[in-house]
Amino acid sequence: MARRLIIVGAGVTGLMTAKFLVDRGFSDILVIDRKYPGSGGSFRCATGVRASFTSREHIKVMLRAVDLWPKLSKELGIKYSRDGYLWLLTRDRDVEFFREAVKFQNSLGVPTRLVTPEEVRGLAPTINTSSVVAAVYDPIAGKASCFDSVTNTLTHLLARGVEVKWGVEARKIAREGGGLVVETNIGSLRADSVLVAAGDGSRRLLETLGVDLPIRNLPKHALVTEAFRPVFKPLIIDWATSSYIVQLFNGNFYIGADIPEVYDTVAKVKLEFLRKAAKVWTSYFPWLREVYVLRYWTGYYDMTPDHHPVIGPVEGLEGVYVAAGFSGHGFMMSPAVGEALASYILGERPLVPEFERLSPGRFARGELIKEIAVFG
Amino acid sequence: MLDAKKVIVCRCEDVTLYDVEKAIDEGLTDLELLKRKLRIGMGPCQGSGCLLLVASVLARKKRVPVSGVPLPVSRPPITPVQLKFFAGGKSG
Repeated sequence: MARRLIIVGAGVTGLMTAKFLVDRGFSDILVIDRKYPGSGGSFRCATGVRASFTSREHIKVMLRAVDLWPKLSKELGIKYSRDGYLWLLTRDRDVEFFREAVKFQNSLGVPTRLVTPEEVRGLAPTINTSSVVAAVYDPIAGKASCFDSVTNTLTHLLARGVEVKWGVEARKIAREGGGLVVETNIGSLRADSVLVAAGDGSRRLLETLGVDLPIRNLPKHALVTEAFRPVFKPLIIDWATSSYIVQLFNGNFYIGADIPEVYDTVAKVKLEFLRKAAKVWTSYFPWLREVYVLRYWTGYYDMTPDHHPVIGPVEGLEGVYVAAGFSGHGFMMSPAVGEALASYILGERPLVPEFERLSPGRFARGELIKEIAVFG
Repeated sequence: MLDAKKVIVCRCEDVTLYDVEKAIDEGLTDLELLKRKLRIGMGPCQGSGCLLLVASVLARKKRVPVSGVPLPVSRPPITPVQLKFFAGGKSG
């Protein structure tokens, strides 16, 4: 029995796509996941949402997402708030770069602005700004609950007749007759169309169809602490060390930091990460020294050569769609990406035209996206 | 008769038996999903007080043995550790 659509990957990307399709009366969908919904990047990420990027494509896609997040928040009960983003700059040369970035962002409708150390202390109470030269603030950025985004979208879909099966590993996709067949550990699944939104497993799966996408998985690290009463709202980034901290809705602090890593290796926990995360943020917030780390995990950024996602129909393969290579920004993009993929699957063009620049064929055509500079 | 709304299964996050059974009935038939929906296992005990308890509720509702309910992954640190113990050393 062939369905209209199989979505491989029950993370936010696959689930949001199904949600937008169901809105349009299209519910003959089976979503599968090799582990459980959200088990990939969706449940591991920092949950930040921002449109303050340095390419037109990122900005336009994320402005649409920033518009959709509050609507989905209301409809599906997903916690979301525009608590802002704050980049702390500790080197003069970084201030010049950010001045350019802010000008570019403002020109496209993102209201970022340079702020002083005094304003930083207002935006992040208790922070030690002795090393801060300047900062950039994005007032429309914020955070959303990655847990609600998956669990609430999932139950919404189940109540509307979408089938979701997990513990189902897609091993191969092939053409068969006029449709497609996905070979899995529970047998062959047939559909008219297939969307591959399988995070770090997407590249391998598409290779079985002869599609070769330049996506490489980069190990990343994150920790959470015990919960506190609200201390500061924005997601704070220390630009010089590529580290960040955010206080989540439940009051726990989530800390990320870049340490040297090798593409396409298995992510492993490393003491080096804990040392860097602790050193950077206890300098800014000395009281953080007393705070308990509860949990430390790893994950991957699925990176493309131009740090932009691969989204849309796969040229030359009717019925095959991809949404992968989000390079660390899949969660925040998911509402806009879900909306765009639903349009493509319904035979329409996406609302935000910039999505067409993110097509899988761009690599073969040499049309990589250009940013004014690499930025997070 | 037990009043499920008065039975606490997760003491760190104050989650009741009623909350758990309702979430399972909505389709969250996996400990990993119950954890993200209800926060069981996310408090300071990191699941040592509650995960097996909720696993047994899930096993009962799914009519499988408790051994048939996979437990979420344990991750470091095995007991909470203050950031000062990591902040002192040399960083990368």
